[in-house]
Amino acid sequence: MASEQRAPGTILLVEDEPADARLLIRAFTRAGVLNPIKHLFRGDEALAFLEGINQYADRREHPLPILIILDLKLPGMSGLELIRWIHLQRELRRIPVLVLTGQKDDKFIEAAYDAGANSYLLKSFAEDEIDRVVNLINNYWLSLNESPLVVNRK
Amino acid sequence: MVKTRTILMVEDDPADMRLIQRAFAKAEITAKVIRLTNGDDAVAYLDGQAPYDNRAAYPLPNLLILDLKLPRRNGFEVLQWLRSRRDGIRRMPVIMLTSSRHTVDINRAYDSGVNSYLAKPENTEGLLQVANAIKTYWLSLNEDPTLLGTGTYGK
Repeated sequence: MASEQRAPGTILLVEDEPADARLLIRAFTRAGVLNPIKHLFRGDEALAFLEGINQYADRREHPLPILIILDLKLPGMSGLELIRWIHLQRELRRIPVLVLTGQKDDKFIEAAYDAGANSYLLKSFAEDEIDRVVNLINNYWLSLNESPLVVNRK
Repeated sequence: MVKTRTILMVEDDPADMRLIQRAFAKAEITAKVIRLTNGDDAVAYLDGQAPYDNRAAYPLPNLLILDLKLPRRNGFEVLQWLRSRRDGIRRMPVIMLTSSRHTVDINRAYDSGVNSYLAKPENTEGLLQVANAIKTYWLSLNEDPTLLGTGTYGK
């Protein structure tokens, strides 16, 4: 039991652009992050994962994430809609949500915070820049920040 | 263009405040730091009530750093008050910086809408690390929301 608790928590990455996701996951590996990364392409799939329904019904196999990183433009359900949904759920609403997107309009930034995003980051494209962002995410959210306790019910 | 950033720090313990300020200086945080010592003053400041009604002298902060245990209104109450505002200041990023590591406090802070929860380190080295993280993450990497817009996009 104790070893299970020490296992690093899952990071949920919701990103529909395969190339962007690949670069990010590679950067997390390079940063030495041991947390498993669950990558999903669609907003509605992320909802099913978080709700623990359909193929995600087994929480031992699909534990709740400790951190959610998502793009705003997603098929199935937009990132904003997903954040709003998360924030209506007991417990789930505690999980830190980082928006990582190419959208830099103030209206998106405002709407994301209003929906309940914990942080809003702009996507970078150069590999060393991606490394820098991922290192900062690692140092801040996976190390310094105190994570909430979210119980894997079901 | 260098943006002038403002941090509002609400901390009732003068010794802690001194240590945090020293760490901020060492981390070369150039933001204007406004210090208040209780929750009622924080609400008055954010609400623009006298004596804080001049926004040129008392600008809205880009970041609010709250201790949890505060005289009069505590950190949770200030946070809940802020998040229930109808105007754009409700989306101001808020960090809890507190000595409590109790799960119940951490959960309650996230349930109330905190952006991040940091445990107050007990040594100066740890505090410097916190100051550096605030500088590189919240004052540099993170995109601040504007506090004036309606934020109803996509609703």
